[in-house]
Amino acid sequence: MKTDVLHAVRLARTDLKLLGRNFTALFNAVILPLLFGAMFSLTAPDATFVLTGLPGVMLAFAVFLNLVNTFTARREELVLKRLRGGQGSALAIFGGAGLAAFAVFAFQVVLLAIWIDRTGGGLPANIPVMLGGAVLGVAVFSLLAAAFSGITPTAESVQVAVLPPLMVMIFASPLVVPLSAMPDALAVFARMVPATPVIEIMRAGYTGELTSGLWLYVGILGVWLIIGAALAKWLFRWDPRHS
Amino acid sequence: MTTAIEVTGLRQSYGAFEAVRGVSFEVGRGELFALLGTNGAGKTTTMEVLAGYAKASAGQVRVLGLDPIAERRRLRPKVSIMVQEAGFLGDLTVAETVGLWRGMCLDAGREPIKADPLELVQLKPKAKTRVKQLSGGQRRRLDLALAVLSRPEVLFLDEPTTGMDPEARQVTWEIIRDVREQGATVLLTTHYLEEAERLADRLAIMHEGVIHVHGTVDEVVATTGDRIRFRLPYDGVDLPVLEGERPELRERTATYKVEKGTHAAMRRLLDWADGHGLTLERLEVRPGTLDDVFLRVAKESAR
Repeated sequence: MKTDVLHAVRLARTDLKLLGRNFTALFNAVILPLLFGAMFSLTAPDATFVLTGLPGVMLAFAVFLNLVNTFTARREELVLKRLRGGQGSALAIFGGAGLAAFAVFAFQVVLLAIWIDRTGGGLPANIPVMLGGAVLGVAVFSLLAAAFSGITPTAESVQVAVLPPLMVMIFASPLVVPLSAMPDALAVFARMVPATPVIEIMRAGYTGELTSGLWLYVGILGVWLIIGAALAKWLFRWDPRHS
Repeated sequence: MTTAIEVTGLRQSYGAFEAVRGVSFEVGRGELFALLGTNGAGKTTTMEVLAGYAKASAGQVRVLGLDPIAERRRLRPKVSIMVQEAGFLGDLTVAETVGLWRGMCLDAGREPIKADPLELVQLKPKAKTRVKQLSGGQRRRLDLALAVLSRPEVLFLDEPTTGMDPEARQVTWEIIRDVREQGATVLLTTHYLEEAERLADRLAIMHEGVIHVHGTVDEVVATTGDRIRFRLPYDGVDLPVLEGERPELRERTATYKVEKGTHAAMRRLLDWADGHGLTLERLEVRPGTLDDVFLRVAKESAR
């Protein structure tokens, strides 16, 4: 297990180095979510509400889109095959990619906190709760990305393939509109979208308005973890789809 | 000699296609065993099962006494593979790639080789080049550097010199010999007969998923007998049968494949030539080669 952790950290550092050398990936993972934040917060009546929900969008881009792209491209270019034949275990290979995505996500959340503070919203009230939401969110979206890469034929088709789930994550979640303001049927659906519990937990951590209802969201993320792991085991592919 | 690799009745299917059909062999510790065969013979499939990439459809494989799939965690630090086709992280430099692999070795508690792997494969001048800018042959050399880096107990080499120029091929052979001299067991697949002949302690010739012949190079070559060849001075000569063998005649050049009794066959041939007043031009007797065995296996399978 210790070896897996060391390998995962080493692979994550390599992934971050590679991210810095790929402008498109860097733009998608780091800049695009912040642009979304700027767009939504400028048009929404309560900018702080939108900004504290922005981690949901960041998860969608920095973790989900980025990892679907990474797993698909590496599978098709036979990089996964090489990594699998090396010293690292499957756990370390997944863990490394997830850890790098977590680092990008955490960096974005720090930028976001500075942004919210500068616009009068203050700094996060409860960092451990935010961190817990972030860890669970990254774990769920990493597993979903692994599963989704299995049904994505090529790296070129990733942007199109992930569009539907990205739209659901952005528009059927309490990013701009609170769950309480949504029509009942939509609110029930929105609660089940995996981005929602992350947004609710991290928003509560930011504002310090913690309620016992948060445990429901932890439970929903727990269920998504199980679903994500099962889907990843079923759909993820090490070898190219044409082989 | 203890056994490092054990394959018993291995079968591997992809849908209705059976790529490997009941292959069995053993490789002793410290031995270099070559799997020879044409493309599609099942060599790579066999190696990939041994390296734990795929689960065998039937049969049993053991590497260092361990199941490559079920006991992968224990086996992984002790083995290394150079696969025929595998990608690199193209935006890393050559030195960074080696650094990543070296770090992974150290993390796993393996002491990497002391020598600079890039010096070994003559890629030192390319250390700062991004991997995506390397030529195909240079990538193969980097591949080899990564494979030997961890000082493996068992090294799988799948067509290691494909795409290499003759000089790089010689360097690769030297590295493989060194690895073996240090006690590693090597399983090599190749379709270069010369490569197997120069490197292998023992070899097996595979064709269409089956091993047709195996043993030391001498044992394998001995299965094909000698060749007697000469050129006739003119057409239309009725050639004799020698030791039960009829000649193959092509443009006045006759070739006999003599399985046994070369000496007696030669005497009879010379007597026959004297009796007919013929001088046999460019007369030669040579032992069979691996090429001959390889071609025979392919021909027999095609029948």
